[in-house]
Amino acid sequence: MFLTRSEYDRGVNTFSPEGRLFQVEYAIEAIKLGSTTVGIKTPDGVILGVEKRVQSPLLEASSIEKIMEIDNHLGCAMSGLTADARTMIDHARVTAQNHAFTYDERIKVESVTQAVCDLALRFGESVHDEEAMMSRPFGVALLIAGIDEHGPQLFHTDPSGTFVRYEAKAIGSGSEAAQSELQDKWHKQMTLKEAQVLTLRVLKQVMEEKLDQHNVQLAQVTKDKGFEILDEARLQAVIEEM
Amino acid sequence: MADMVSIPHSQPQQHQFNPYTENGGTILAIAGADFSVIAGDTRQSEGYSIQTRYAPKVFRLTDKAVLAVNGFAADGNMFVKKVRQRLEWYRHAHAKDMPIRAIARLIQTMLYSRRFFPYYVYNILGGIEEDGTGAVYSFDPVGSYEREACRAAGAAQSLVQPFLDNQIYFKNQTPAPGTSFPGHLSLSTVLSLVIDSFTSATERHIEVGDGLEMYIVLAKNSPSIQSLRDIRGMSELTATEDGERVFVVRRDLKKD
Amino acid sequence: MSIAAQTDSCPRQPIVTGTSVLALKYKDGVMMAADNLASYGSLARFKDIQRLHPVGKYTVIGAGGDMSDFQYIQKFLEQLIIEEFTSQDGHDLGPAQIHEYLSQVMYSRRSKINPLWNSLLVGGFKDGKSFLSYVDLLGTTYSATTLATGFGAYLAQPILRKEVEGRENELTEEEAIRIMESCMKVLYYRDARSLDKYQLAVITADGVKISESRHLSTTWSFAEGIRGYGAQTQ
Repeated sequence: MFLTRSEYDRGVNTFSPEGRLFQVEYAIEAIKLGSTTVGIKTPDGVILGVEKRVQSPLLEASSIEKIMEIDNHLGCAMSGLTADARTMIDHARVTAQNHAFTYDERIKVESVTQAVCDLALRFGESVHDEEAMMSRPFGVALLIAGIDEHGPQLFHTDPSGTFVRYEAKAIGSGSEAAQSELQDKWHKQMTLKEAQVLTLRVLKQVMEEKLDQHNVQLAQVTKDKGFEILDEARLQAVIEEM
Repeated sequence: MADMVSIPHSQPQQHQFNPYTENGGTILAIAGADFSVIAGDTRQSEGYSIQTRYAPKVFRLTDKAVLAVNGFAADGNMFVKKVRQRLEWYRHAHAKDMPIRAIARLIQTMLYSRRFFPYYVYNILGGIEEDGTGAVYSFDPVGSYEREACRAAGAAQSLVQPFLDNQIYFKNQTPAPGTSFPGHLSLSTVLSLVIDSFTSATERHIEVGDGLEMYIVLAKNSPSIQSLRDIRGMSELTATEDGERVFVVRRDLKKD
Repeated sequence: MSIAAQTDSCPRQPIVTGTSVLALKYKDGVMMAADNLASYGSLARFKDIQRLHPVGKYTVIGAGGDMSDFQYIQKFLEQLIIEEFTSQDGHDLGPAQIHEYLSQVMYSRRSKINPLWNSLLVGGFKDGKSFLSYVDLLGTTYSATTLATGFGAYLAQPILRKEVEGRENELTEEEAIRIMESCMKVLYYRDARSLDKYQLAVITADGVKISESRHLSTTWSFAEGIRGYGAQTQ
């Protein structure tokens, strides 16, 4: 795809003559190598699902962490360079806590997403010859799920710092097939249960390995219970329902 | 050693500049079931001198929140200015007006951030909560705060608060046999209590008088609007459609 | 205490001081008055200083308190006016803007415990509207149709209120001058740090006018008859 490399490849501060920032585009490409991650919004809450690539039988599957809590009402799933997501989620958590401390209320899903995107855009920032704080764009995309006064919401962020709200979204290596499957099967009045099952079905379709309770993870954000990662027993129950 | 201690005292001590003063006046707020009344007199004084007969101490922040500020006027004006700035930033960041509960917490953090050089002001915040109930929050100068049904602060606090305790919390009263006190007072009753509080404080306190400004915040579709129909000297300040409504009533107080 | 420490942040005291400033609103605009004395303690040190100072085209500031601080204020306001003029952006600072700016400076200096030791009146007329406001070393501000600083607040303000309140829109310039003169006379009789030489400023639609120094004629013959106070009457 990018056979002809140019001098505009390197700098994160330099547009190409066609008006592109190659490093940002490459970062977006990096996500397409990541494991598939799915998010579905329903009237009762938001479901997040990820594929865990268990590359070795000696690997402890439970140590792969691709869904994280931001606040009690906010969750986040990632695809791409997951190490980069740590920095972003750290920032999101601090932003959410600061908001709660200063305003005695839960931060809105869009606000916390905006805060993460503000951070994502701070690559290449440096004054004079000072060392830049961040030398390259983040190589990770996030699905941020949450509930606030506007109800359940699902946001997608990418390395360019752009964020968009979705009813259902898939990212990562299997995202193209997964997204068209979501488009087929998603409907407005889905129950939480239906969304859980759909998430797993979509993941199963794009996964190379056989789906089981060790190589996928499900999480949900609901009004009553907030963010929770489904434990193996509950995950097993959903798998059986597929 | 003894020498070192004595050196600082060798020069006569210059009188220290006092960065604070008291500018008199009184503020008061009462919460109803679906409304809130926030009032203050308009006299500003220092010592025995009246500086001006009209310096507002009560400010509309949003359509659902009104802030009354009393104490050192320069600190008060600066504080209101900073709160307003924060409310605007919040509006830009979160695309909504800050709820009164959030304003209350914000005021605490702003006051406490100046813990060791405080804003010498007593704040009372009144308005409508997200659930549509009338709310009053009161603060001390360094940020301690609580939600209450009513609060008086300022020069005549010691005159007005006991009156309110008696008339709103029915302290030291026992209901007639077989009856009970009302849970919430009507808007017209509350307005009468506020006016009486200020005319009385004007009589007995030299720093209170000249003018009275009463802000009334009504919850969405509040039936209490009926009792505002025949109120003299009232005007509406509401900025947005079909939400909470804000009114102000201006009255004269004795100028002596 | 070293000079550096003194000018840095230690609170100082006023040294060469001016006394009261008076101001009132009348039919055509705002009138202000201040005498020409700068005292050094109880010594009448400088008897020809001007305490009313024009700022831009629409504003006069009058100062009591430390005269060197007042000169510093004149200097930075002049700088402000020049900067505003050179930007040529169609803005020109009116009295309200100058008062707000001055208030922020006074308040931030008091917050650094290094106040500018003055009581200032800002009077002006712009866009058909009179403006009159006060600001002092604490950053305290207020406005009214009559204002007086220093001893004027006790001695002249009651007279000003009686003469002016409610008649702001009918008072003529001649009446305003008469009121000011009578107030300045009261101050000269009772304020030991005042002078019988003073200036008037008028700010109207025609702009700013600051008068030449005027003289107060006073009589002291009654003093002959005074034989002490209280029990001692002989």
